[in-house]
Amino acid sequence: MHHGAAWTSEKRKRSVQKRRETRFVVVWLTPIMVVFALFSILPVFWGIGLSFFNYSALSVHNPFTGLANYQRILRDPLVLKAIGNTFQFVLIAVPANLLSTLVIAMGVNAVRSRVLKNTLRTLFFLPTIAPVAGAALIWSTMYNLNGGLFNEILGFLSIGPIKWLGNPNIAMLSVILTTLWADVGYNIVIFMAGLDAIPDVFYEAARMDGARRWYLLRRVTLPLLSRTTLFVTVMTVISYFQMFTQVQVMTNGDPQNATRVLTLHIYTAAFQYMDMGYASTMATTLLVITFVISLVQLRIGRSRWEY
Amino acid sequence: MRRRLSVGYAAMVAGLLILGLMMVVPYLWMVLSSLKSNAEILSAHSTILPRHPTLAGFNMVLTQAPFFRWLWNSLITSTIITAVTLFTSAISGYIFAKFEFRAKKVLFFTLLASMMVPFAVVMIPTYLIVARMGIVDHLSSIVVPSLISAFGIFLCRQFIESLPRDLLEAARIDGAGEFRIFAAIVVPQIRPVMSALGIFTFMAAWNNYLWPLIVLNDIDRMTVPLALVFFNGRHLQNWNVVMSAGVLIMVPVLVVFFIFQKQFVKGLTLTGLK
Repeated sequence: MHHGAAWTSEKRKRSVQKRRETRFVVVWLTPIMVVFALFSILPVFWGIGLSFFNYSALSVHNPFTGLANYQRILRDPLVLKAIGNTFQFVLIAVPANLLSTLVIAMGVNAVRSRVLKNTLRTLFFLPTIAPVAGAALIWSTMYNLNGGLFNEILGFLSIGPIKWLGNPNIAMLSVILTTLWADVGYNIVIFMAGLDAIPDVFYEAARMDGARRWYLLRRVTLPLLSRTTLFVTVMTVISYFQMFTQVQVMTNGDPQNATRVLTLHIYTAAFQYMDMGYASTMATTLLVITFVISLVQLRIGRSRWEY
Repeated sequence: MRRRLSVGYAAMVAGLLILGLMMVVPYLWMVLSSLKSNAEILSAHSTILPRHPTLAGFNMVLTQAPFFRWLWNSLITSTIITAVTLFTSAISGYIFAKFEFRAKKVLFFTLLASMMVPFAVVMIPTYLIVARMGIVDHLSSIVVPSLISAFGIFLCRQFIESLPRDLLEAARIDGAGEFRIFAAIVVPQIRPVMSALGIFTFMAAWNNYLWPLIVLNDIDRMTVPLALVFFNGRHLQNWNVVMSAGVLIMVPVLVVFFIFQKQFVKGLTLTGLK
């Protein structure tokens, strides 16, 4: 009898505690999740939904048009060009970013003087704190045909001026160079931390076996760094597929649409031509592209993790 | 062996230093340009160093434009976004890490999945929502959609998960309320993550360009990045004014960066490696 009472009181205490915990979760998580749903979940489905309408914020009548917008994309040379430009940007800028940041990170990590190492890291990280819009403006003036820094240097070497942002064959590369300046710092710092995290024993063991430097890199550094590399790659690819600010400020898609990337084209269609249904169709296409590419990267990355 | 290596080593260090110093060139270019007159920048015979140094650009920014208004707009919106995001991330991270409830897995998966959605996908519906709320062209339209960060919640959960259960149970036995446990025990334990998350949330808000470009029109409501580009008008390119504004905006940011540099770098590695 006595024993039973203690048991029920213990049980009651636990259920009181359980109720308090539930209340805590409900009271705090509900409003947060409601706001999250309103601004992060609802817009995704709304956006996909809009892609099936001829929707404009200005007009009263916005008819359902089924797959017409998607068919329009396939016949729209400008959208196809924008998709092509986006891929061009990603395919050049991502490998350039990853390769240079990895090499620089390994170099800086190998510097023996602590002061020098920190100074170098600061120098490479410095550009990341400029607003990208500001960086794009600075670089625009450095690319100026007359009096811009780059053409001044070429002039000093007796080479004629180049239209860095005016030549359709060069403009995208100029934008990429600016992008690299603006954000290699992030990946360098992350790679440096990843390299630091590799235990020295691995190198010592390999060196005992008489391994050469190239072998160390291929068989020790890169495999042990693969987790960091996967993270950096996925994040860089996602962010580069959405590149907007640099082109909007520097070229606004010109010359001859050579730098018109998808996000810029979506922005223009939606907020300058108010063609929001069609813009949503392009956005949904971008969603599908980035989703598939991220999945593929994670699949490949995961199978490589098993070492 | 050592001597042979040291030639290569010196070359590598020299190369890195040259490359590192090149990273500073655009900043120097900005400062030098801010001291030129617009005519000098646009002239065909301009030189790298200003021939006739002038503060006209700075004068223009400070007297002809609502410069401090813009700074204030950026400061107030970024601060509110950061403070609220820190709170919502920490408390949701705590709940996802230490409580069991229905739909937890689904909710958490949804959070993770939302991080992969490009902003271009949500910007149109978000604009329509903000328009329906009647806050287009108000500073609150910058703040309201950015109060919850899936990444922040994920980050906080990762770190809170590793806190020992006994720590929380001990406080419960002492009769502490759930919110008190969160505020007095959990938050102090994850301070490094909070400062990292704070820095990056603030930077992202301060530098955000696309969303303010969509919702803000009024000159007095612009944030700093919009204002910078605004000077670079379609008809009149006031390069020296743009560069002066750039200098005025970058200097405080650089000062803050040098003060918090350690936290910056540590924060980035924390967020990158978890």
